[in-house]
Amino acid sequence: MKRYGFWHDALKYRTLLLMLLPGVLFFMLFAYIPMAGVVLAFKQYTYDGGIFGSPWNGLDNFRFFFDSGSAWQVTRNTALYNIAFIIVNNVLEIAMAIFLFEIAGRWFRRVFQTLLFLPYFISWVVVGAIAYNLFSFDYGTINAVLKGLGMEPVDIYNTAAYWPVLLVVVSAWKAVGYGSIMYLAAITGIDTEMYEAAEIDGANIWQRITRITIPNLYPTIIILVLLAIGNIFRGDFGMFYNMVGNNGLLFASTDVIDTFVFRSLISSNDIGMSSAAGFYQSVLGFITILLANYAVRSYDKDRALF
Amino acid sequence: MQREKRSAILLLALAFILSVILAACSSGNNNAAGTASAQPSESSAPSASSQPSDSNAVDTSEEVKLKMILLGGKPVDYDLVFGELNKLLKEKINATVEVEFLDWADWNQKYPLKFAANEQFDLVYTANWAYYNDQSLKGGFLELTEDMLQKYAPKTWAAMPAVSWDQAKVNGKLYMVPNNNVEVTNKVVLYREDLRQKYNLPEINSLESYANYLKTVAQNEKGITAYGAKAADGWKWHELDQATLEHNNDFKVIDTRVPLAIKLDDATGKVFNIYDTPEFKELLAYYKDLADNGVWSKNVVNNKNDVWQDMKAGKVSSYAQNLGTVAANLAEARRDTPDQQFAIADIAPNSKKLAAISTQNGMAIHATSANPERALMLIDLLQNDKEIHDLTMYGIAGSHYNPEGDDKYTAGPNAVNYPAGISNWGWNSELNRQDASYPQEANDIFDGWQSKIYHYPLETYVFDDSNVKSEVANIGNVIIRYGIPLEYGLIKDTDKGVADLIEQLKAAGIDKVQQEMQSQIDAFLANQ
Repeated sequence: MKRYGFWHDALKYRTLLLMLLPGVLFFMLFAYIPMAGVVLAFKQYTYDGGIFGSPWNGLDNFRFFFDSGSAWQVTRNTALYNIAFIIVNNVLEIAMAIFLFEIAGRWFRRVFQTLLFLPYFISWVVVGAIAYNLFSFDYGTINAVLKGLGMEPVDIYNTAAYWPVLLVVVSAWKAVGYGSIMYLAAITGIDTEMYEAAEIDGANIWQRITRITIPNLYPTIIILVLLAIGNIFRGDFGMFYNMVGNNGLLFASTDVIDTFVFRSLISSNDIGMSSAAGFYQSVLGFITILLANYAVRSYDKDRALF
Repeated sequence: MQREKRSAILLLALAFILSVILAACSSGNNNAAGTASAQPSESSAPSASSQPSDSNAVDTSEEVKLKMILLGGKPVDYDLVFGELNKLLKEKINATVEVEFLDWADWNQKYPLKFAANEQFDLVYTANWAYYNDQSLKGGFLELTEDMLQKYAPKTWAAMPAVSWDQAKVNGKLYMVPNNNVEVTNKVVLYREDLRQKYNLPEINSLESYANYLKTVAQNEKGITAYGAKAADGWKWHELDQATLEHNNDFKVIDTRVPLAIKLDDATGKVFNIYDTPEFKELLAYYKDLADNGVWSKNVVNNKNDVWQDMKAGKVSSYAQNLGTVAANLAEARRDTPDQQFAIADIAPNSKKLAAISTQNGMAIHATSANPERALMLIDLLQNDKEIHDLTMYGIAGSHYNPEGDDKYTAGPNAVNYPAGISNWGWNSELNRQDASYPQEANDIFDGWQSKIYHYPLETYVFDDSNVKSEVANIGNVIIRYGIPLEYGLIKDTDKGVADLIEQLKAAGIDKVQQEMQSQIDAFLANQ
């Protein structure tokens, strides 16, 4: 192979580089440059000092979170909820994508896909309000129906046990439509010759799905799951806050790091303390994604992210 | 391959370096801008004070634009009223003002961000319940000196009683121009008089008679929630607690973020945990009884509705608030929903009444304001210039209000378009007019209270949480998680609930906060 200079390569790949540029700039501006702000986690923020001039205060900002007695509980809740979301949502998304791909009738497919996609656009605030009108003890639709059928009403907002299931269902309802589109795109990209060959060899639909579609989806699945794992310690604030609100009775099973920090610091507005919590989440997320990537790597080197 | 990869890395590195350089440039500009904006405020203060000291007139030859932050939704006729105001201001102090409104729905999140991000603004509404202390300690407000006030706000300086200035000081320094208005902070309840008469219930004047009313409504009026609480917004100390626990026992919670209180007549200012008192246990039994009788919704902690709107719509039969608010509700109901009759009751009639200290409402100047002098002059006009005060408080005469004599007004045809609940209370003063339709009974209650107003030594003490911030944050969380559900009777075993609450509070560091508060109070009392 002939050795070319750097500028030669730059010229040669100029179109590709140009395509890369917006992405690089985006992450520079919104991810790398603001990263300097993590110093706030170790500072006593003052207005005159600003981000860099404020005095250091060591690990003081972390004290609030770890002394609260809830650190373990909310961290565990955050991780478990996210694991549940990743598994349930991905399984449903893949199933839905395969279903949409295999199904005949363009018209039906379009309508179904649109309906599935719709919840993605509803804001969590609205979802929270809908949920309240469904689940409320006195006036909720569900309890009205139960009472109409002569059954005992259920007190959903005061029973923590219902919530893990409820939240997983709501999350799936909202996310599956969007996620299935990515998988559908990946399936459409699979070489049709494989299916034709399989059909000639007499494979039935189930065999086509398990032997061709799913194995071909592995790279997409791995990338999407790995990316999701990086955020496993970030609770979806919009979801948890609007669904649960300030209902203390449910916190044991619904409180995640983000809502906990929000509630604690909303009245004191200490920027250092909230940065500390954010920093904690990032470090945990970083470690998990390294571990997950390492696991994928040792299984199959080519499929790892890095 | 290897080669390609290397040059790709090189390219990436180049992109990185470029962007870092770009970033450095932009941050350099930021710095320049920062110092530029900081400089005038530093240099203008001395020059401004040195210049006019020769001649007493303030130099207003240069036109300035001021920005003011108020709480509440933007009134429909904002442009009309503030357009008029700007004409007057242009004439009087060669300035115009533009207002940014922080909506009631999320003001408490946006307010501190305005300071943290160091946005450009000159004046801002503040109050002891709206970050006054917090922002003063953090350096968000400009310190106001006596010289400045005398020079730029002479009318206010003359009209305000000295005690009001003293009450507004934080660690001996003044950061706001407080409002000049007597107000009592005791909470009362608003209830449906027509329902009380329908069921022939005795007059409401105690906890028992109130419970009687609530339970009767809950039992007999299907579709009406007897008591409306707005618990979902995360307030830890709600209005009914103030009437039932504080007023009834003459306790006073020092800082609503932590459950520490004093007895009003205790001259030594001994701090105690209000949840650890027999009075609190009695209150819980009272609340539990109400809850079990269906007085409030079982899902009260998730209720986000506006309670007063629910009452107007006939869905809720009672709620607790301060006298001024419920009196305004009453006047509004008489105008809009004459088919429902409301009335006001004091359910702790024998309690000591507490006057609001001056910081209940006020206006402050942003620490980095470029025109603090003109901002101060504006506050002076807002509070003590009859024409401007009337305009900003009540709108345009003949349209939004009709002046009745010098101190009363009636609602005009466009009353709903201004002021609609914005925080122009910041410049309440003796020039305030009273709504001619203001309910007489509210006035009577207020007059009855005047003689019972009780001043106590810790009236102006404010808790400085800087040494115990972590603990305060965690205590707030414990109250939401263990305290609120307990109070609303949602926990079956009350005794265990109290034990849990106290144990969790201890774990969150209540003892340390109590010690800190006690030592601050001791020092405060020793200084008096």
